[in-house]
Amino acid sequence: MSKTYDILIIGGGHNGLTAAIVLAKKNKRVLVLEKRPVVGGLAAGEEFHPGYFTNGLLHDTSEVNLQVLRKLQLENFGLKWQSAAPTVALLSKQGECVKLSHDAEQTATEIARFSAKDAQAYREYISFLASIRPFIANLLTDFPPDLTAFGRRQLWTLLKKSLALRLLGKKKMLELLKVTPMCVADFLNEKFETGFIKAGIAAPALYGSFTGPWSSYTTLNLLMHECRSASNIVGGPQALINALTKAAENAGVEIRTNNAVQEILLDENHSVNGVRLSTDEVIQAPIVAASCTPQTTFFNLIQPAQLNYTLEHAVQHYRSRGTTAKLHLALNKPVAFNGVGGLEFYRTGNSFDEMERAFDPVKYGAFSEEPVLDIHVPTVSNTGLAPSGHSVLSVLIHFAPINLKGGWNEDSKKRLYDITIKTLEHYSPGISASIAGAELLTPADLEQRYGLTYGHIYHGEHAVDQLITRPFPACANYTTPFKGLYLCGSGSFPGGGITCMPGYLGAQTILKHC
Amino acid sequence: MSKKYDAIIIGGGHNGLICAAYLAKAGRKVLVLEKRHVLGGAAVSEELYPGFTFSVASYVVSLFRPHIIRELELAKHGYEVIPMDCSFLPLPDGDSLARWADPHRSRKEIARFSKKDAEIYPEFSRIMTLMGKLAKAVIDHPAPDITSFNPKEIANLLRLGKAFKDLGPDLFHLNVKLVTMSALDFLDLWFESDVLKAPMSVSGIIGTFQGIRSPGTAYVLLHHYMGQLDGVFRSWGFSKGGTGGVSMACARAAMSYGAEIRTEAPVKQVIVKNGEATGVVLENGDELYAKQIISNLDPNRTYLKMVGEQHLDSEVLKEVKRYKLRGSSGKVNLALDSVPEFKCRPGDGDHIRGDIAIAPSTEYLEKAYDQAKYGEFSTRPYINAVIPTLTDPTLAPPGKHIMSCFVQYAPYHIKEGAENWPKYREAFGDAVVDTLAEYIPGLKDKIIFRQVLTPWDLEQTMGLTEGNIFQGELSLEQLLFQRPIAGYSGYKTSIHRLWMCGSGTHPGGGIMGASGELCAKTMLKSRAV
Amino acid sequence: MKWKIWAGYYAVCSYETLHDAEYYAFRNSAGLLDVSPLFKYRVTGPDAAAFLSRIMVRNIEKLAVGRVAYCCWCDDHGKVIDDGTVMRRGEQEFFVTAADPAFSWFSRFLRGYRVELTDISDQVAGLALQGPTSRDILKQVCDADLDALKYFATCKTRVDNFEIYISRTGYTGDLGYELWVDNAHALKLWDAVMDAGRNYDIRPAGLDALDVTRVEAGLILKDVDYYNALHALIDDRKSSPYEISLGWTVDLDRGPFNGQAALKAEKQQGSKWAIVGLDINWPQLEELYYKRGLPPVLSLQAWRSSIPVYASKDKRKQVGYATSGTWSPILKKNIALATVQKQYDKIGTELQFEVTVEHVRHTVSAIVSKTQFYNPEHKTFTPKPSRS
Repeated sequence: MSKTYDILIIGGGHNGLTAAIVLAKKNKRVLVLEKRPVVGGLAAGEEFHPGYFTNGLLHDTSEVNLQVLRKLQLENFGLKWQSAAPTVALLSKQGECVKLSHDAEQTATEIARFSAKDAQAYREYISFLASIRPFIANLLTDFPPDLTAFGRRQLWTLLKKSLALRLLGKKKMLELLKVTPMCVADFLNEKFETGFIKAGIAAPALYGSFTGPWSSYTTLNLLMHECRSASNIVGGPQALINALTKAAENAGVEIRTNNAVQEILLDENHSVNGVRLSTDEVIQAPIVAASCTPQTTFFNLIQPAQLNYTLEHAVQHYRSRGTTAKLHLALNKPVAFNGVGGLEFYRTGNSFDEMERAFDPVKYGAFSEEPVLDIHVPTVSNTGLAPSGHSVLSVLIHFAPINLKGGWNEDSKKRLYDITIKTLEHYSPGISASIAGAELLTPADLEQRYGLTYGHIYHGEHAVDQLITRPFPACANYTTPFKGLYLCGSGSFPGGGITCMPGYLGAQTILKHC
Repeated sequence: MSKKYDAIIIGGGHNGLICAAYLAKAGRKVLVLEKRHVLGGAAVSEELYPGFTFSVASYVVSLFRPHIIRELELAKHGYEVIPMDCSFLPLPDGDSLARWADPHRSRKEIARFSKKDAEIYPEFSRIMTLMGKLAKAVIDHPAPDITSFNPKEIANLLRLGKAFKDLGPDLFHLNVKLVTMSALDFLDLWFESDVLKAPMSVSGIIGTFQGIRSPGTAYVLLHHYMGQLDGVFRSWGFSKGGTGGVSMACARAAMSYGAEIRTEAPVKQVIVKNGEATGVVLENGDELYAKQIISNLDPNRTYLKMVGEQHLDSEVLKEVKRYKLRGSSGKVNLALDSVPEFKCRPGDGDHIRGDIAIAPSTEYLEKAYDQAKYGEFSTRPYINAVIPTLTDPTLAPPGKHIMSCFVQYAPYHIKEGAENWPKYREAFGDAVVDTLAEYIPGLKDKIIFRQVLTPWDLEQTMGLTEGNIFQGELSLEQLLFQRPIAGYSGYKTSIHRLWMCGSGTHPGGGIMGASGELCAKTMLKSRAV
Repeated sequence: MKWKIWAGYYAVCSYETLHDAEYYAFRNSAGLLDVSPLFKYRVTGPDAAAFLSRIMVRNIEKLAVGRVAYCCWCDDHGKVIDDGTVMRRGEQEFFVTAADPAFSWFSRFLRGYRVELTDISDQVAGLALQGPTSRDILKQVCDADLDALKYFATCKTRVDNFEIYISRTGYTGDLGYELWVDNAHALKLWDAVMDAGRNYDIRPAGLDALDVTRVEAGLILKDVDYYNALHALIDDRKSSPYEISLGWTVDLDRGPFNGQAALKAEKQQGSKWAIVGLDINWPQLEELYYKRGLPPVLSLQAWRSSIPVYASKDKRKQVGYATSGTWSPILKKNIALATVQKQYDKIGTELQFEVTVEHVRHTVSAIVSKTQFYNPEHKTFTPKPSRS
């Protein structure tokens, strides 16, 4: 190869592309290697049925960091967004519906139809979130505190972070310390009384965390979601990918799809040399940034002997038990849930007990008999994704385990499909009759298609010990024990979902070092 | 008005008695008031059936702080604990696992299930021992008040920070895992065999309303490694004469220093005047006054019953009401005609002289929890049984035995409401005996007498709100400076001259004695008495 | 008879109340010692050599079939976990011995290697036949070509109707063999060797005699002269191979292996400690005893308590500690193995060794010497080496 590169990026998902742009803008010669035929990873839209398109496997763009979008000047590449999370409708089994919008007062009025107490509680909840948001959002958009060594510098940053916490004021600080270890059910039960509203608010805390609403520390996940859920990308994840791709090309990034990396090449001093592709082509570069899962990076792309025991053990025990399945439906008409149509996002759950019961079977290798659904109707704002008058449904199904007893096969897939449709039918009677096409992706399918280890959509569970030193202490802060190898995917701080943060902070780390 | 005391202690549990002993030893005039006819609170021995002395509630001694034994000369006053040598797990398939104090013996036992686990087992206990150093730094001192800018509190916080720093990064991260992970996930970092993980993981859930897969339960595993440094894998033991023996030793020590103790003297209320506690009113109407009042009761009872809502400011009231108790366990005490023999390992050998766990698999344990989450007692519960008469034959007539069974889960809040527990009491007892009988053929024919204590009963007889054996859940948001509530964690309460010394204060839980000791020392240090 | 516990088994310390005769058997004729409590593992498969090379500090891929390598293995930080022998029984078959259980440690590195690791500790018995007449005895029980079997070589042979492996290895520093046999045949093998040895003054020997011989041979012992890094509660108790006289087993410049980076750095920067032999001044010791009106009396047993070692100039400056030692009956010397700061490890350096005479502590001079105090020619001599 005549061409040389400074940095190779493994994986062209939103994090890989974000990192590429940041680096290329600093005049680095960057090559992105994507295994699949399209870039975008979990944010890429696909045609799942002739004439019907999804808008990304993950569909929530509310956690995208807007500062990063601005820094990358994505508005110059056609990207539009709103600085508020989109409206989400919470569905009850009794046919009720409450719309949570960014307008707290309007939402409180909505809630008041069910409970005046809850309406007031919601106002207080929103104001509590507003008061802690600067602290939490700052925590999640800055480099994580370095906990891998106890030098003066590390202790100083830690002290600064604790001081920021203290500066919230005594009451707020104590409240935050009190609630973060709590389970989301206790936390919300203290405030609200209406079951389906509580359940709907709590739902995001459970996504990708191998917990039910009664599990400790789920409040932390909820607060993290609430504090950064503040945007809405027009056109959804695919629009973000389009803009990122254009920005990358504009910055001089070279992107190669259908290029699977087979091995990260290391020299005798454990330093990166480049990569070898599945075609045996060798591309040399002193720096490789991996946006694939940590397990893929260390177990599939590096020779086993290169891993010392600490790393081996850390990778082995990095928890990423996939519990999410995905259903794409092509419908030949518009869709409404509990009689409410025209919205993009719906959540089911109904009550903590029911959510907990949905989680219980996962522990024993079975899927929920009545799953918790996170529903997106992309065609509401993006009519081009389906034939005129038709719609597309993008449903994240919680919970279906990767390690299903008896394994994932056509039978078990069919059962999960039937259960999911039955649940949807409850909220949208007659929906089954309008199905023109469907695609169900089990965690096993997700692993297969997207290279997600154990089918985990966030590249690893969101848990306290896998947050600050994400994925694990040996590789915290985007670095690895191998000189020149960096991480920049969802397996790094601040974790999964479409945020662009791991890619951004990962790239910044690389720039600090070269 | 009768004679005036320096301090009146409400409740003669082991913490109250220890607190009394320390204060009396320092020359203070102390009165302990106990509602029941026996001392000890949950650490009590009672002759429930002629000739049989039961450790009614608390049944093993584990974390009792050794310096308290020395400082209060408890050995002189009859404190005697016989260490348990074995932890026995019978399995339904006829196999069993016994973990011994002797590491070689344990290795051979565990190797039958996993050679790797057998080798890692001592490694695990070494690491936990190292981490136990940190835990000791935590439990042997009052919790730092992080809200305070008082130099003393900051120094206390720094001391704790240093203990963390001294762990080094590797152990620090492990500690983060320990505090936040589930017991099972944490054990998964080391072990592969379910037969080993199941009985080990239950240490994380005893007394809590959590499952072995619930985040945050790993921390309690550490408790088992704090008492020991010499390679013996646990520091549990039987108190001679039942666990009441510990309380009685504390009581005798207190009396030897001049403390006054009254039984059958139930306190109705704390007398609060102008936001200050000045004395107590007994159920019989007597009023007793003291400079300081100390409550050995749980925070809920102390604030809401003894003080009363009208004396609390709204913030405190809100926090007290938020304090989670939620009892999750019951107790079944059996008097037996002869030694209960296990099908899988018959005989009355050493294997049943320690604790016996009915915890055949992690799935079994988690399913027991699942049932309880929705308001039912587990029909196949986790049982931790001991037969103390094998090591202390004085507890029962010759040849007869006592089997003391700690049972989880029995949620206080059953679907029909806690007050309906009495209706389910015998069904609960039957579930326990049925479960045991699957492992001990002929057990039912050996039973001479049976006592079933539901969480409701624990509340009614021992005054443990919601039947919580630790006077409040040991979850992170209720520990350290937040036990029982933030701002009032240093044994002080929001009422002047009213203190707390029970398990509901830092460090809380178990027959540890630390709360009573630290309360007394805090009072003496601040010259409150 | 004296017993002790060895890895969960009762093992003989001495068959009589005194181990003296057993020691002389090792040095003058032959002693037969049961070493079955050692941990034993079989590693087989196409990647067996690569797998072991990744674990051991030594490059096992270079080990020829039929040869044995003494080596140690380290943690990530280059600290020694245990030492043992690796025997290459075939292109793809190895036999490994260890003092501590190692199955879980070895199996942590299985990912990516086509190997099978089996713990055969409970299935295989080990007998150490050690001493100058051991070759002649062994010739009576099997027809292996022992005259051609070199030091640290191994071969397979038959005794009666069963198979055994012989390795020319041992822990006495003398001519000797270790015999590995399926435990079903272990008693038969013991009897066969004892019968054959009758004319060669064979004796069953115990661990007390072994302990004296191993100090004479300068062979270190885990948990006595160093700690298993996985068991050490504090970092100061951990040692690198360079610090315990096993630097010669480390093969640094090759593919990755456990502890490589740390060992490379240590090799460059130098080690802190070294294990040395100490030749303790006898006349000085004698004089201390005489001053108190006593004849010098030393225990016949090897000792393994920690004894301070001081610099010779400044007698208050402790520069190390002796971890095991003995009166050597064959060398007529008082010797010890000591861990000393690196700058004191040159042969010939004079140090001070603490001795307690009649409850009072003194020091006597001790000269740093090679750890191998006793190294007879017959240990490594092979009568017909050409045929191997």
